[in-house]
Amino acid sequence: MQAIRVENLSKTFRVKRKEKGMRGSVKAIFHPQTEEIRAVNGVSFSVAEGEMLAFIGPNGAGKSTTIKMLTGILYPDGGRVEVLGVDPTKKRRQLAYQIGTVFGQKEQLWTHLTPYDNFRFFGAIYDLTERETEARIEELSERFALKEFIDTPVRNLSLGQRIRCEMVAALIHKPKVLFLDEPTIGLDPVVKENVRELIRQMNREEHTTVFLTSHDVGDIEKLCRRIIIVNDGQIVLDDSVEHLKSHYLEHSLEEIIVEIYKAQEED
Amino acid sequence: MLTVVKNQMRVCALSVKYNIMREMVNKVTFLTNVGFMVLNNATFLVQWMILLRMRGDVGGYTMREIMLLWGFMAASFGLSHILFARAFSLSDLIIKGKLDSFLVQPKNVLVSVLTSATDSSAIGDFLYGTALVCACKPGVGGFFLFLLLVVTGTVIFTAFAVLLGSLSFWFVRMDMLQNQIVMGIVSFGTYPDGIFKGASRFFLYFIIPVGMAVWHPVHLMVSFDAGMFFTVAGYACVLLALAVAVFYRGLRRYASGNLMVARL
Repeated sequence: MQAIRVENLSKTFRVKRKEKGMRGSVKAIFHPQTEEIRAVNGVSFSVAEGEMLAFIGPNGAGKSTTIKMLTGILYPDGGRVEVLGVDPTKKRRQLAYQIGTVFGQKEQLWTHLTPYDNFRFFGAIYDLTERETEARIEELSERFALKEFIDTPVRNLSLGQRIRCEMVAALIHKPKVLFLDEPTIGLDPVVKENVRELIRQMNREEHTTVFLTSHDVGDIEKLCRRIIIVNDGQIVLDDSVEHLKSHYLEHSLEEIIVEIYKAQEED
Repeated sequence: MLTVVKNQMRVCALSVKYNIMREMVNKVTFLTNVGFMVLNNATFLVQWMILLRMRGDVGGYTMREIMLLWGFMAASFGLSHILFARAFSLSDLIIKGKLDSFLVQPKNVLVSVLTSATDSSAIGDFLYGTALVCACKPGVGGFFLFLLLVVTGTVIFTAFAVLLGSLSFWFVRMDMLQNQIVMGIVSFGTYPDGIFKGASRFFLYFIIPVGMAVWHPVHLMVSFDAGMFFTVAGYACVLLALAVAVFYRGLRRYASGNLMVARL
């Protein structure tokens, strides 16, 4: 069964344009100029239940916009989205009970509270009873090795500890699909490897579908079997990591990805 | 349906509790904020005492009405900033794309956003306003009427701020206009309505809702009128419904953002 189905998905942003300097600012008051930017342009793909997919591309390719449409943050201009059979534009709340999100660049935790208090808050958000929340905190804090700092305010944690807590907050309600937007950004190699192992373990034990965007080739290589590359809002490659490697023998995955990005730029 | 409301209320209560805990992290700052807001409000009352000693009334208000006026203004404005402080910075959240974390939660977006911050100095406002009305000796019935009208006042202030802030989905830099109009409400709302005539009076009753949030409640405390009470309650409901509708209409245009954001 498909966990995610996307058909002809599009999103356009209207961006203001202004000429240089003060003169341009004054001119923009009387003659405002805007430009339409197609962030996502007719994207179609599907993700099977339990699959771990890498959705990558250069900066501004449309990765985050796509992930935001899949999670119900943004409304698409065209096309169809279904996550676990639910349309995020129509039943955002129903979908939110079944998905988890980790945005590496955006904190969801309250920084003045301890991870424990944060997890209790997230338990309430997902309508878990106190007993269910406590049991889940116990289970996840064991798995993510949080015991040492579970009672330390989040603002005093290291980046690696914070990301682990962000992941626990996203997993408190046992989501069926996990959206990870650059979850290892800024982490040292050891912590990165720990986070990857935790994602793998979760996928193995809870059969969680993982939708990952990352600029770190290590994340893709060590977690995902399938890779989708987007550029200028369109899919330019949808293939298995294994096939990609066998096709470009003697090249590392990083070199292959860079070559594909460069070829797209030249086009 | 009842369970949904109950769960939403549970999250709101936790959110407000955590907000106040955050404000109390630095005890000295917290207590100073609360205390100085009470003092700040009290200085204005001294000015009114001097003014009313020179002339018997201003715009039909004696010292008792002035105390009720400041009581309603401080208590309603304070309660809206304790419970729903984010309504007054909604514009900023929309412009900077900070609604993402609320949109991935299975709860009402607007309620979650509004209850996600508190203003510690507003506790001083609320305490001061309540104490001022109690000093007018309203009696038990009068005190309950005061509490009821503080609720309608809070709804009006919050809904009006949400309405203005939601315009940021369509217009850039609405945060400046939102701040100016909110400050305008505070300025106009601390003067007797009798000094405003004609178009300005109409404007302050129906466009900027100072009249419905503060002046009518003062009149109701002096002399209760069921018609006036239901006008205030009805206005609060209509304004709230309008604010909610505009917010959700605008949410479809939300553009998010890629700024590094921390939930402070």
